[in-house]
Amino acid sequence: MSIIQQITADDLTDNWRRINIDALDPDSSLNFPTSSLHPPQPEISESDCRNLSSAVRQLLRGGDAEGALRTCLENPVYNGPDGVKEQHLGTVVEVLQSIKASEMSPLLKRVYEGEGGVELLDCLMKYLYKGMGSPGAGSGGVKVMTPQTTGFSQIGGGRNISSGDSTGSAMSVLLSWHEKVVEVAGLGCIGRVMTDFRRV
Amino acid sequence: MSAPEVHHLFHNPIADHSFSADRQTLAIARDTTVELYGRVGNAFKLKDELKGHDKTVTSIDIAPNSGRIVTCSQDRNALVWEPTPQGYKPTLVLLRINRAATFVRWSPNETKFAVGSGDRLIAICYFEEENDWWVSKHLKKPIRSTITTVGWHPNSVLLAAGSTDAHARVLSSFIKGVDARPEPTAWGERLPFNTICGEYLNNSAGWIHSVAFSPSGDALAFAAHDSSITVVYPSAPEQPPKAVISINTQLLPFMSLIWNGEAEIIAAGYDCEAFRFKGGINGWQLSGTVEAKSRPGLSEEREESALNMFKQMDLKGKVKDNTQLKTIHQNTITTLRPYETSGDAVTKFSSSGVDGRIVIWNV
Repeated sequence: MSIIQQITADDLTDNWRRINIDALDPDSSLNFPTSSLHPPQPEISESDCRNLSSAVRQLLRGGDAEGALRTCLENPVYNGPDGVKEQHLGTVVEVLQSIKASEMSPLLKRVYEGEGGVELLDCLMKYLYKGMGSPGAGSGGVKVMTPQTTGFSQIGGGRNISSGDSTGSAMSVLLSWHEKVVEVAGLGCIGRVMTDFRRV
Repeated sequence: MSAPEVHHLFHNPIADHSFSADRQTLAIARDTTVELYGRVGNAFKLKDELKGHDKTVTSIDIAPNSGRIVTCSQDRNALVWEPTPQGYKPTLVLLRINRAATFVRWSPNETKFAVGSGDRLIAICYFEEENDWWVSKHLKKPIRSTITTVGWHPNSVLLAAGSTDAHARVLSSFIKGVDARPEPTAWGERLPFNTICGEYLNNSAGWIHSVAFSPSGDALAFAAHDSSITVVYPSAPEQPPKAVISINTQLLPFMSLIWNGEAEIIAAGYDCEAFRFKGGINGWQLSGTVEAKSRPGLSEEREESALNMFKQMDLKGKVKDNTQLKTIHQNTITTLRPYETSGDAVTKFSSSGVDGRIVIWNV
């Protein structure tokens, strides 16, 4: 029997070249368990998140913006369904929008110097980046919760405000917060957000 | 405090540097070669080149007493250069790794050295008399990723290692027949090879860039890519540590750190200058920079002629060229080493970096 006859159709195709051999190698970096890079995080359900956001809103109504921000950042959603993560982002953005520009820096400084302040600002930075990365989600939450704080509502009342406008205003809030956070927590804060595997 | 001594050797990155014990010879890892500089007056002059690696040399260490130089490279080899009257004679070390070697350091008693590698292991190398060559034993478990740095405990048995899997670990490198049984320490009592005496995760999962035991060996400091340094105080073997103190800074990450006594750490990295941390078991903080910002020569601004000013504006659109950093190092500092010590305290230390400068600092 000659060798040629033993070759099947499969051998003649180059399918075998497409096998990802790295995935079969247990030592490969593809099989690196990234869960070993952070301690296990408690899972947060939708009802937890809802309770949290109503508590935060209560604080906001009471005029305690700092407390509201702290509460948000002390309970980040690291482990939970995407919907819950988005919902928490909405809460954070709502708090951020309710704080006046002149109050940002002193507030951030107080948080930074307090207990665990570095961690809290790192967490805030994660939400800022997430908000910038998903403008739809961030501003969507904002639109529902704060009915036009910008003063443009009267002007734009007649025509339908396009989502682009509100996205832009949410983005400008996030950007000015970003600037202030970097002033207080330094570039180290950005580096920490980039390396961290605990994603919000 | 006198001004630091600056040697701008070339315009290439310096991967690592090491001084001989008499501080007359400086070895530099430059690209694929090792350059030896001799001190001539106030300067360092190139006097020898050691060629043996065919890929980038990643790390270099001179043993202070024997004068042997060990180098390792991305070509997966380590070489021990023995000083002889005819020059340095290289001996290949059997590392048995199939990824780049990243970091090498002699143990304090100079009978062993540790080579970190991308093969997710540390090769502990020692000399085998009967075969007349350097052989290695592998520290493998539980390392999950490339080893970026190692640091020896003063007892030459315990080894700290930092890795890209965001863990700093303390392992035993005890080799029968080479090491005497070490005194029990807070890290461990019985220490067979590959005992894990401590494993510490960086909070933000940043790569560990540098590890160092304190002079007494009773504390471990490590720097990670999240701009933090962490100091660990062990309590007793198999017990959780007495204290783990982490300082997240506002700065860019640190690449290298050294202890100055038990109460000060000097760290430097992407900010191109060295910073001091002071503290103890109750807490640590950043206390300032080593470099004095008001040194002469920095603030001196030459009076510009009007003609020159307009010429610059025309040519470059600005009057002043401010591409110079305000620090001596003009790029990332990658290695710090003690240069002169008295007891446990460091009186001078040297730094090298990507800008091709060697700077000797007064503490």
